[in-house]
Amino acid sequence: MGQAEGSRENRKHVTMTVNEKRVEADINHYMTLAEFLREELDLTGTKVGCNRGECGSCTVILDGEAVYSCTTLAVEADGREVLTIEGMPVKGKLHPLQQAFIDHDALQCGYCTPGMILSAKALLDKNAHPTEHDVRIAIDGNLCRCGSTPNVIEAVLEVAGRLTEKRGDGQ
Amino acid sequence: MSESKLLVKGTVPPPLDRELTVVGKPLNRYDALEKVTGEAKYAGDIKLPGMLYGKTLHCPHPRARILKIDTSKAEALPGVMVILTKENTKGWRTCWYEVPEIAFPETITHEGTEVAAVAAVDVVTARKALELIEVEYEVLTPMPPAEEALQKPVPPLVGDEEYPGREMFDRKPFVIQRGDVEKGFEEAEVIVEDTYTTQVSHHGTIQTRACVASWDGHELTVWDAAQGVWNSKRALAKSLGLDPENVRIIVRYLGGGFGSKAWSHRIVYYAAKLSMVTGRPVRMERTRNEEFVNHSRRYDTTMYLKMGAKKDGTLTAIFQKAIVDIGAAATEENYYCRQIIWHTANLHACPNVYLEQTGVSTNKQTTGPTRSPTNMQAIFALESHMDRMAVELGIDPFDFRMKNYATYQSVGTAEAHMISDGTTTFAAKIPYSSKILDECMKLAVDAIGWERRRAPVSDNKGPLKRGMGMASYLVLQGVGLYPYVAEAKVVINPGGTVNLFVGVVDIGGGQKTILGMIAAEELGVRAGDVTVFIGDTKDTLYAPSCHASRCTPEMGPAVLQAAAEARQRVFEHAAFLLDTDAGRLRSKDGMIYVQSDPSRSVSFRKACRNMAPDETIVGIGSRAPNPAEPMMATFGAQTVELEVDTETGRVNILKCVAAQDFGKPINPKLCTSQVYGGIEFGVGFALTEEGLYDPRTGKLLTGNLSDYRMPTSLDFPPVEVFLPECEDPYFAYSAKGAGENTNAPTPAAIRNALYNATGIWFNDLPITPDKIIRAARAARGQAKGAR
Repeated sequence: MGQAEGSRENRKHVTMTVNEKRVEADINHYMTLAEFLREELDLTGTKVGCNRGECGSCTVILDGEAVYSCTTLAVEADGREVLTIEGMPVKGKLHPLQQAFIDHDALQCGYCTPGMILSAKALLDKNAHPTEHDVRIAIDGNLCRCGSTPNVIEAVLEVAGRLTEKRGDGQ
Repeated sequence: MSESKLLVKGTVPPPLDRELTVVGKPLNRYDALEKVTGEAKYAGDIKLPGMLYGKTLHCPHPRARILKIDTSKAEALPGVMVILTKENTKGWRTCWYEVPEIAFPETITHEGTEVAAVAAVDVVTARKALELIEVEYEVLTPMPPAEEALQKPVPPLVGDEEYPGREMFDRKPFVIQRGDVEKGFEEAEVIVEDTYTTQVSHHGTIQTRACVASWDGHELTVWDAAQGVWNSKRALAKSLGLDPENVRIIVRYLGGGFGSKAWSHRIVYYAAKLSMVTGRPVRMERTRNEEFVNHSRRYDTTMYLKMGAKKDGTLTAIFQKAIVDIGAAATEENYYCRQIIWHTANLHACPNVYLEQTGVSTNKQTTGPTRSPTNMQAIFALESHMDRMAVELGIDPFDFRMKNYATYQSVGTAEAHMISDGTTTFAAKIPYSSKILDECMKLAVDAIGWERRRAPVSDNKGPLKRGMGMASYLVLQGVGLYPYVAEAKVVINPGGTVNLFVGVVDIGGGQKTILGMIAAEELGVRAGDVTVFIGDTKDTLYAPSCHASRCTPEMGPAVLQAAAEARQRVFEHAAFLLDTDAGRLRSKDGMIYVQSDPSRSVSFRKACRNMAPDETIVGIGSRAPNPAEPMMATFGAQTVELEVDTETGRVNILKCVAAQDFGKPINPKLCTSQVYGGIEFGVGFALTEEGLYDPRTGKLLTGNLSDYRMPTSLDFPPVEVFLPECEDPYFAYSAKGAGENTNAPTPAAIRNALYNATGIWFNDLPITPDKIIRAARAARGQAKGAR
């Protein structure tokens, strides 16, 4: 969503790393990180579904933590590292999570998908071998109305090398 | 294989007469890559040069009259380009679901009604302008809940003088009648009656409604969030008074629909008008709260059911009285809300029925398509009551349903829709085009371990109780509402590139993939060889909106016919190269071969290279309307095993089994995803989702995703899906629809399992912990008193 020019005193200078690229901007201090990414940087892969920290579709990774970018101010990201869905591919190739989401049909309309993938990545970065319950906890803040959840769980567990274990459990 | 009766206009293409190489394969969806990389551009992601931002002001009262509206302060705000209110828009009409409505009414009929629209240079300014608009209301007492409202005199028309009142406002009951219901109850040895209620619920699409409208003085282009581009084009052109030729709608990606985006919506009308007035493109996005208060929702209902049966389990009579709250307005001329008694007339064989439904207008939000608009409510009441009867009879619920298995349908919604005096009497037994509900029920009970199911026992062995339940359903198929047109176009260029143009939207159901697979199969090329163009009225032919699970059954035959026609033209080139007759050729996996001697072959691509440089092969397919006979429906059954803590009220669904009759799935992977989606809706509707209103002010209390509780990953049960296949000669490769139908049985299956666990009948949705705790306490008290 576009931002008002605002008065001088409302503006702040921020410098941050977004998807391994350094970005600088003068922005309104009340601009959210989601608005900054979408409107200033044109990184529209970050979706806004509720703009009040409920649905999780705006999830990005800030210094290793999955955060709701709609309830994070852009100025809070000053001097920090942000990863969005656009930064997921590694050397031009899909991240294994992205490929697993495709293979397991872990998406339908796709609107929650970027946030879902980033929540899953934040989990795997901290815990390479999560249990099914760990995965459910990690994506609990990402609503999917289409019902992709069972497939998201399978996709994440496959990347974690735990899928056969899950199936072995007779789930 | 039986003779093809494919529903197309003109020549029916002969069956392929070979094994299928694309259809039936669990392929990945075609648009998955753009969705996992964030490249997919949804309506709200579109940014045009000079674009303005629009916002609408919503009335905070459910029933009110605007006395005065003053926009002078807002207009003085720098950056505000235009403000529209009732004062400067006299005679303007929006066409919401093709129902004309006043653009900015003076009389407010529900909370969230639009009273002004603003276009400004940015969204912050637009929001500030809304705050500066001064509106003076005469606040009126909202109408009481539907049942109570029925006992009171009919209120004056809820809208303005000009408001086109519709039949349901007259409270005329709509009736389905068959046989002699009184005689049926006389014959009955067991009679059971009860009342069921279902709540207000919402779509909860993660993408809120958004659009960008751009008027260039001649042509209007809209990047919309709609489930249908062609019906949106029609409705928008009609409301704006434009030639439809000059309206283009584009929906490349859609962030969930579930009926909420089934047609063009008022937000698009406002964006278009703001663009026409300012001469600049306008983007509008709805906030999450606006999505709740300024949008249609699911009909809430009260349903009384009385059922009679012989001791052997044979149904003799069903009486039903349903009251449907249609809110401030219902869409589609009340078509949807009429369907609420239709299921009772058809799901189980019963010779005598009297079913009555009354729609009541209130000042709650409007009503409209919502993933199984009435199916989920209707099936909840009916299948709950079937279990109640089974218990009274002492018959297993599965056996009871098999005993009354219906092999025919006796009243179609077409009749239900058209009857003008409100009563339909229809006793003809019309066979189904295909039906394997018996197989579905068997699969579902076997997979859950039905043999472990025991009658509920009242014991004091702790608060945790386990139980199993089932429910079956039928849902309409390929509804084919006016205008009944569904067309597809296949275009092959010299060099062999194959393009499929279909004017549908991929709403997440995989429409792009499925229609592409049908074209590839029929052409005899590999799945990846077909490029599918969708979601644009430019270059496509008329196609229906993707709602009512209608895309595959309506567009499938059209795509098949278009591809078959194009293939025959390519065969003419191949026949020349292979020195044979085109009629002797077949194609598969990108090769064209002589049927009697497959060693004589040429690649599809090479055959196309024989085309003249200026030649283009075009195949057109067109779906025929559903015939009067047979009836077309999808069926299925679901079973649930759960554990409930009667002290905390917490329900833990241990497993859910879904067996769905979709005919033949074009892509079982995508069909399975549809089933998951249905169960998500069903679990939420059964246990947590509820739109609550303040009884004093009539305002919605649950207009956000914290108070309106949709299931999360922690609520999602393990699901086992069965997709048994059957032949249906009317559809493309026997593919019926898969989508909204999948949620229909879930709430009843959960409720029946809760009875099996606790011995308590829960008749009011959602079954929240407070209801469980209260009922369990009462049951314990009763047990104590009895001792």
